[in-house]
Amino acid sequence: MKANWLKAIVTAALALLSLGTAQKLTFWHYWDGANGQVLQGLIERYQKEHPGVTIEAVFVPGGELLTKLQTAITARQTPTMAISDLVAMPLLTRSGALAPLDDYIRQSNLNLADYFPGPLVYGLYQGKRYSLPVSASNLGLFWNKNLFRAAGLDPNRPPRNWDELLRFAKQIKEKTGKWGIELFTQGGEGTTWQTQVYFWGAGAEFLDANNTAPAFNSAQGVRALQFLVDLVQKEKVAPVAPWGLFGRGEAAMVMDGSWMTQFFPQQVNFELGAAAFPFAPGGRPATNMGGEQIFIFQNADVATAKAAWDFINWFSSTPVQVEWDRGTGFLPVRRSVANDPAYRAWVSNARPLMRPFVDSMAFAKPRPPVARYPQISDVFAKYVQEALLGRLSPKEALDRAAQEVTPLLR
Amino acid sequence: MVNGVRLQKTPSKASWWRRTLGEWPAVLFFLLPTVAVLGTFNLYPALYSLYLSLFEWNGLSPAREFVGLANYARLLASGEFWNSLRVTLLYAGGVTLLALALGLGVAVLLNQPILGQSVYRVLYFLPVITPTVASGVVWKYLFDPTQGVVNRGLLAVGLEGPSWLSDPSWALAAVVVVGVWKRVGFNMVVYLAALQGIPRAYYEAAQLDGAGPWQQFRHITLPLLAPTTFFLIVTALIDAFQVFDLVYVMTSGGPLSSTDVLGYYLYRQAFRYSELGFASAVAYVMFALIFVVTVVQFRLSRGGGQGEG
Repeated sequence: MKANWLKAIVTAALALLSLGTAQKLTFWHYWDGANGQVLQGLIERYQKEHPGVTIEAVFVPGGELLTKLQTAITARQTPTMAISDLVAMPLLTRSGALAPLDDYIRQSNLNLADYFPGPLVYGLYQGKRYSLPVSASNLGLFWNKNLFRAAGLDPNRPPRNWDELLRFAKQIKEKTGKWGIELFTQGGEGTTWQTQVYFWGAGAEFLDANNTAPAFNSAQGVRALQFLVDLVQKEKVAPVAPWGLFGRGEAAMVMDGSWMTQFFPQQVNFELGAAAFPFAPGGRPATNMGGEQIFIFQNADVATAKAAWDFINWFSSTPVQVEWDRGTGFLPVRRSVANDPAYRAWVSNARPLMRPFVDSMAFAKPRPPVARYPQISDVFAKYVQEALLGRLSPKEALDRAAQEVTPLLR
Repeated sequence: MVNGVRLQKTPSKASWWRRTLGEWPAVLFFLLPTVAVLGTFNLYPALYSLYLSLFEWNGLSPAREFVGLANYARLLASGEFWNSLRVTLLYAGGVTLLALALGLGVAVLLNQPILGQSVYRVLYFLPVITPTVASGVVWKYLFDPTQGVVNRGLLAVGLEGPSWLSDPSWALAAVVVVGVWKRVGFNMVVYLAALQGIPRAYYEAAQLDGAGPWQQFRHITLPLLAPTTFFLIVTALIDAFQVFDLVYVMTSGGPLSSTDVLGYYLYRQAFRYSELGFASAVAYVMFALIFVVTVVQFRLSRGGGQGEG
């Protein structure tokens, strides 16, 4: 009896040991809820199709992941691979802790040209690529069709440029007493990333081409900020107020993220429309972009790193990405996904509001991938607020912001 | 520091050391668990951050650059820091004084035999045990310019309230209100206990001498509460100097840095900007400030505040 038990234990231990020689990968991510379940499902399938590979996905709350990665990197206790919000990629690529992916990409014939250009900007450092985009989101226009109707506007026709946006907003304010459009005025990155859309839409750039100097205080930049200030101060069709007016039916239009195509329909009691965000007359279509990037850590041994790459390569493949984006509602990072018939059919049937966001990926711009972006963003937002509150003229505000941003780019 | 005040004069220090020598191994042994835990989780990080404050480091890069006292110099030259210091002083001063006055008022009222006394006491104490983050979120709703209870109430009496948390001139006031709201109950409880420790005989004697309620309050209650008041001021100031969560939830330091208290400023530097060296310097400057304020208070109170600490 006892001997049998011993035997069983020894066998089990041996089995465990033999598993140990197989590839065990750890993967840190912050995808929770439904997204986490989709990921888990994909990982389980991958493990079934690739016996000998075990992927241990570790969920870390979004706000803590970067701190946890910092600690892991300092202590040299990194996981095999991880994801990060793209905003943190400049810090991570400069840490020296990530493995360059260029050789893998070449060997696997991964077609980078199939990726939308925006997300690919992240993860590049000193000519080497350290990460790949695996998900995206962007900003667009939502409008309240009920308020459009009440104001005597065509509820199915969103504004296509700033002139129309202003005209519609004024008409809504006049006829319904509601705000024409809601701006994010509460400062920080929320203000910056919305304001950037107006700046790009007016033909302005945020930083210069090498990301070494501010460029937002150009004539086009001043024009964009002037437009926003006029919405608040002169036309009084947008308030400086806490976020959330649109959802409560108190503002007729808003710039918000692709993820809201899922949440707004559950939250609001009016008919919704969504479109690409309008741009300045003579400007260009533009939107901002978020998302996640995946990467491998430097100190994994060759075989483990290769196994991690194989998973990333599989995860990045068009069919898996189609499934991933359908399950999570993330926007495609690859054109082949955006054009995939099954994906397009899913958008049309399940998420019709998301169509313009998918199409906007082609011109979605990245926020500059500089290490001190969070500081730059806060400075910029502060001066946008100064202008919106009428305390500084747009030109003055942007010049002062530029002055404070310049040393942060050194 | 607190207990050091009342060291009795011993006949001879040297002989005391000699007398207790045999007990030291045992003492050290029993102290070991506490010392180990405090050392690992309090002392070591504190000293390490002092060390870090001499470097420029983003928490990720393999190289840390030794910059000496440059972080401190940069801090003192930074307008943002001085703004944060000003905001913190305003917040700490506002919360401490208002909560002190209100706490005393409520305590005096609830020290009277009134109907539902204990219910009121519980009600006033509730905010103290409500988690700060939850309170912050709820108050954010209350301060909403159009939907919020505050402005609707003001409107009912014909006043148009400001857009509180979005208005740089009002945001700090709104945060102070919540800080006071959270503090009053604690002050009340401590004052109540102290009030009940004042012998009734004093008041009876004063009445016989013809003292009215105000004179009794002014010449009996207030002076006898002085040690309590001192204790409440010290703890409230230390607490208020370190405020972070309330600001984080309600305003994120905005609008236009009008609520950018030192605690939030430090958080921004460390966890939003990854400026770990600089943030450590901020932490040490905060430490020095709190330390100085406390020492000054203890010095000032040497005369009046006996038996408290």
